[in-house]
Amino acid sequence: MNYAALVVPDFSLHAVRRSDASLAGRPLGIVAGEGRTAVVRAVSPEATGVEPGLAVTLAMARCPALVLRPRDPTAETEAGCMVIAAALTLSPRVEHTGAGWCTVDLQGADEARTLVTLRLRLGELAAAGIPVRAGIAGTPLLAALAARSTETVCVVRAAAEFLRPLPLAWAEPTAAHAEILAGWGVRTMGDLTALPKGEVGQRLGPAGAALWERAAGETTRPLKLVEPKKSFAAAWAYDPPVESLEPLLFLLRRYAERVALELRAAGFVAEKLALTLLLEDETDHRREFRLPEPGADVDGWQRILHAHLETLKTAARVVGVRLVATPARPPEKQDGLFETGLRDPAVFWESLARVGALVGDDRVGTPVVAATHRADAFVLTKPAEAVPEPEPAPVHAARGLVLRRFRPAWPVHVHCDGARPVEIVGGQLGGDVCAASGPWRSEGEWWTAAAWAVELWQVELAAGGLYQLARTADGWCVEGVFD
Amino acid sequence: MPGSASTLSALRSLLAARFPEKNRRPAGCVPTGVAAVDEALGGGLPVGRLTEVVSAVASSGGQTLLTRLIEETRVARRRIALVDGADGFAPESVSADALRHLVWVRGQDLVQALASADVLVRDGNFAVVVVDLRGCDERALRKTPSATWHRLHRATEAGATAVLVQSTGALVPAVPCRLILGRAHALASRRVERGELAAQLAVEVARGHAGLLADGVEAQAG
Repeated sequence: MNYAALVVPDFSLHAVRRSDASLAGRPLGIVAGEGRTAVVRAVSPEATGVEPGLAVTLAMARCPALVLRPRDPTAETEAGCMVIAAALTLSPRVEHTGAGWCTVDLQGADEARTLVTLRLRLGELAAAGIPVRAGIAGTPLLAALAARSTETVCVVRAAAEFLRPLPLAWAEPTAAHAEILAGWGVRTMGDLTALPKGEVGQRLGPAGAALWERAAGETTRPLKLVEPKKSFAAAWAYDPPVESLEPLLFLLRRYAERVALELRAAGFVAEKLALTLLLEDETDHRREFRLPEPGADVDGWQRILHAHLETLKTAARVVGVRLVATPARPPEKQDGLFETGLRDPAVFWESLARVGALVGDDRVGTPVVAATHRADAFVLTKPAEAVPEPEPAPVHAARGLVLRRFRPAWPVHVHCDGARPVEIVGGQLGGDVCAASGPWRSEGEWWTAAAWAVELWQVELAAGGLYQLARTADGWCVEGVFD
Repeated sequence: MPGSASTLSALRSLLAARFPEKNRRPAGCVPTGVAAVDEALGGGLPVGRLTEVVSAVASSGGQTLLTRLIEETRVARRRIALVDGADGFAPESVSADALRHLVWVRGQDLVQALASADVLVRDGNFAVVVVDLRGCDERALRKTPSATWHRLHRATEAGATAVLVQSTGALVPAVPCRLILGRAHALASRRVERGELAAQLAVEVARGHAGLLADGVEAQAG
């Protein structure tokens, strides 16, 4: 088991289909040529009665619902990148052999583990709209033939037995050689290799000897390796521009699948996603999503992006999108034996990420009060994995109702009798003060440019309600209600 | 009329079969630490149910109830999420240790708050999700489609989380239990210990009743 080949049959067809949501379930054909010479190159199984090579007019006559599309180089490049990324999760030595065809050097890899990974990747690719067949064998050519001979995964352990029944056309003889060999009654690779190699070489020349070697599975070659990705980004355009969520999310998922696979192939996860929407009026909308739990799970990404996009209204239609993932090493941790952890950590971090996408990453978390006397000073931190044992209750119990803040504070005019507030006049709150308590003065950071000083009053309005008034250099404001 | 009685009985059976969650008793409750509220609810906030607490007047104790709930769940080492629609929570009003199990969502508008609540209620890691809509735009609150509340109801019933909605007027349609805090406190209350204040909160049951919730409900241990 030295090489694996990943081959996508009808690659151009699948590439086009996965790039357009409207093609799902419809009979689709890829057309080549123009005018009267146009023929169908590949067809989906839904197009009953249509076969590759059929003239377009005839194909339309046989299947009136047939949707015909030309090849889409952008979609093929994207689908090809998916296959390469999947191949790179098997081994770092990967060759992009052709359109929808990768060859992987598996020398030194553990067979059982490789097969498990391979089947996982094939499942993921199939879910992403790219059905891949895989062959594993001793040479790149044998692996490719094995992939061609199966619907799923084929492992070749005995090359001669495997090759013997295969049609000779799979060894790619020249047209002249194919005609001569057909005249000799040679139909399969086994028929050819039954003849002595020297005799075949004498009659058909060096090309004939090379054909014999291919039919015997003796041909091998060095791979032209691709360079693994170092940046993890995808960018695409919409033509025509889109103005609804579904087409945006459809392609976003397709490209996110590729980026996630490339991350995993490189042994990374994403700690941050940056989304840029390019708009028709030549402006853009940018948003960064910090993932509370770094990961490369496309479903999780999709839910976070969806949560943000479904509440977003842009000034113009979207003409293009760019998605960039910031790579990070996967977190490694071990939970404590007696900790009361999360019931479902994956769901928890994903929920936080989705809420972060809605309200902003900096507006979700566990509050930690800052070590200062300045009012309303706190930071939001990442919630703990486990809730620790509570500390003993404070010796001095808190008194009075709890303050509910108005952010920002409500500016008001306050009439005073001496220093004591007696009436509040403001747009959001006003009335006579029937009782007041204060002032409580505090100041801090006078040694810096951020010096602050405030005078606080607790007041009860005649109409009801306890409020906290603050007087600073800027004037009076209502900081909140005691509730 | 025996015919109509049997039809009614059949209709009830049909409804019970179609909406079994409506007849299901709460799977437990989460004590709030406020005696009057726990008593009215038959032990605490029912799990898998929405409970609405209306702060009908200013300074009636809604925020005190919230902080008591945060402290109570901290003692039980259970997670609580606060979806703060108007961003009014003051972390310094609670001891630093009492915040370590809290996830605070600082909303900027009603749409964000309700969408965040929808996500967190479905999460399953929280014992309680508090949706504080006091201070949100009143007109926007009144225009909230009933489908939004229905969706929140369904999400709550499907999970094991107690959901508390705090408002300044009755908001949630078909809520199983609605309590009203209707007595404003005077300035003199600032000298009273908070635990004592919480014990004195005047709670009126506007919808649902203790008997309905008390049957078969046991407070969940941490």
